[in-house]
Amino acid sequence: MERQRVGFSTYLFLIPGVGFIVLFIGSSIFITITQSFGLFSVTGTSQFTIDHWVALLGDRESLDSVLFSLKMGFLSSAGTILFAFPLALFLRKGGTGKRFLASLVKIPLFIPALVSAFLIINLISYHGIVNEVLVALNLINRPLRMLNDRFGWGVVGIQVWKNVPFVLLILASSLASIRDDTIDAARNLGAGAIQILAKIFIPLAMPGILVSAILMFIKAFGDFAITSVAGPVYPPSIALRMRNTASLFQEWDKAAVLGVIIILTTLVVTWLYAKLAEFVTGGEG
Amino acid sequence: MRRDEFTITTLGTQTRKNLYILLAAFFILVQLVWVGLPILMTVLWSLVHPDYPWSYPQMFPEKLSFAQWRFVFRYTNIVRALKTSYSVAPLSVLLAFFLALPTAYALGRKKFAGKKLFMTLVLLPIIMPGMVVALFLSRVFTSFGLAQSFFGLVLAHTLMGLPYMIRVLTTSFEAIPQDVIDAAENLGATSFSKIKDIFLPMVRPGLLAGMVFAFTTSIEEFNLTFIIGTPTFETVPTILYSFLGYNFIRTNASVIALIMMVPNILMLFAVERILKSDYLSASLGKL
Repeated sequence: MERQRVGFSTYLFLIPGVGFIVLFIGSSIFITITQSFGLFSVTGTSQFTIDHWVALLGDRESLDSVLFSLKMGFLSSAGTILFAFPLALFLRKGGTGKRFLASLVKIPLFIPALVSAFLIINLISYHGIVNEVLVALNLINRPLRMLNDRFGWGVVGIQVWKNVPFVLLILASSLASIRDDTIDAARNLGAGAIQILAKIFIPLAMPGILVSAILMFIKAFGDFAITSVAGPVYPPSIALRMRNTASLFQEWDKAAVLGVIIILTTLVVTWLYAKLAEFVTGGEG
Repeated sequence: MRRDEFTITTLGTQTRKNLYILLAAFFILVQLVWVGLPILMTVLWSLVHPDYPWSYPQMFPEKLSFAQWRFVFRYTNIVRALKTSYSVAPLSVLLAFFLALPTAYALGRKKFAGKKLFMTLVLLPIIMPGMVVALFLSRVFTSFGLAQSFFGLVLAHTLMGLPYMIRVLTTSFEAIPQDVIDAAENLGATSFSKIKDIFLPMVRPGLLAGMVFAFTTSIEEFNLTFIIGTPTFETVPTILYSFLGYNFIRTNASVIALIMMVPNILMLFAVERILKSDYLSASLGKL
């Protein structure tokens, strides 16, 4: 860091980057909020009203969508971390074959989300290879419905497949900061593999685990594209419902209410993460 | 006694080595199937001969051909979409670079109040749910005449790439040792030569990583393009979406999926060396 005092001019440097982001994101948030109260309305008159809020908060279908998206958010982030953590642990130190493994694992990171969705759809469709193999092995009698299933397992599967490498990168950096001395010391004191995992690796990697959990939750909670191609017929994810309300039914004010609900949920979850991270790292992070 | 101990430890290392090899083989095998199988199936689907449909219970397509590839290039908008995708992406990367450079310099090298807040604000495009931003930014764009315009599309893609560009460049600027700058100043370096000989060479790897992330973000950007660009502008992802929606045509979708991912995977291997130093985790590891 430079030692001399910096003045107002430093803030001018921030304008191109931060200013651009704040201008665009800020204006879209502003429009979402005002329009949910009937202001800046495109159709009809612009007038302050809480009617749209009242109408949507009592709406059973919207609640279903919110619950579905919450479920997708939690399951996708838990699932991705569950898959990525053992890999990150294994890749922590170099060894034969690991360079190859590391490149192999990273491939989905560079496959766009929609393409990933399509790749997995091919596999899990009614006569897809997964069902064929399971039937051939006599594990199931009839093919399972994994695509557009009611629960949304197809969506979770796609999210996990696509995002394991992304989470792996974040987990790897927090695992890399754990020193070997700590592990050796624990081992000398008689700690077994499970104890080392539970008492050293998981707690020390917690900040990374939390960051990846939050980023994954946000991605899966606000998802539009994957749910619309692989999700259940009912309920649609909240982002899908919002887009249909706006573009198909031209009810922009109602869509704005859904938009605010998405933003608020994202903020609350992010805030919870920050609190949790503070608690875990003892307020240093 | 000593001898016994020795044998036990060597035995221990031997078992551990075997266990390690077993684990490595397990992970590689699982990943080969996990990543390889979906891609292989898509390649096969894209090569199915139109006169010999591939259906249950055949394990492999009866006859392979490039007919689906020819069909997609001849009768769909893929060529125009490719042109749009690959002209929006470099332009938005370039714009993001110029916008990010001063900001990343200040965030990486200066001390000022509210820095943490600004670092978090930078992540807004990633944190904010894409569809909400897309829908209501489109209202803003409409009132400024930017919706359904090429320039609007470039601006939208720049917005999505900026967080990566700023964060990665900030990390690179932070990593420059102050000694080097002090030494250069003592030797009478001008601002210009400081930029040319110190800053630019030292942030180059980070810059490249930031550009790669911004570029791939732009190529796969869907929400904003779908709302702000279509139907005037179609990119490869929006075309793929149309083939996955109401008119689901697996063979055509396979071709487009491959067109989208092959350049990306090639790029991954081209920049492997950069990714190994984990720029993404270094720059996104903290909110």
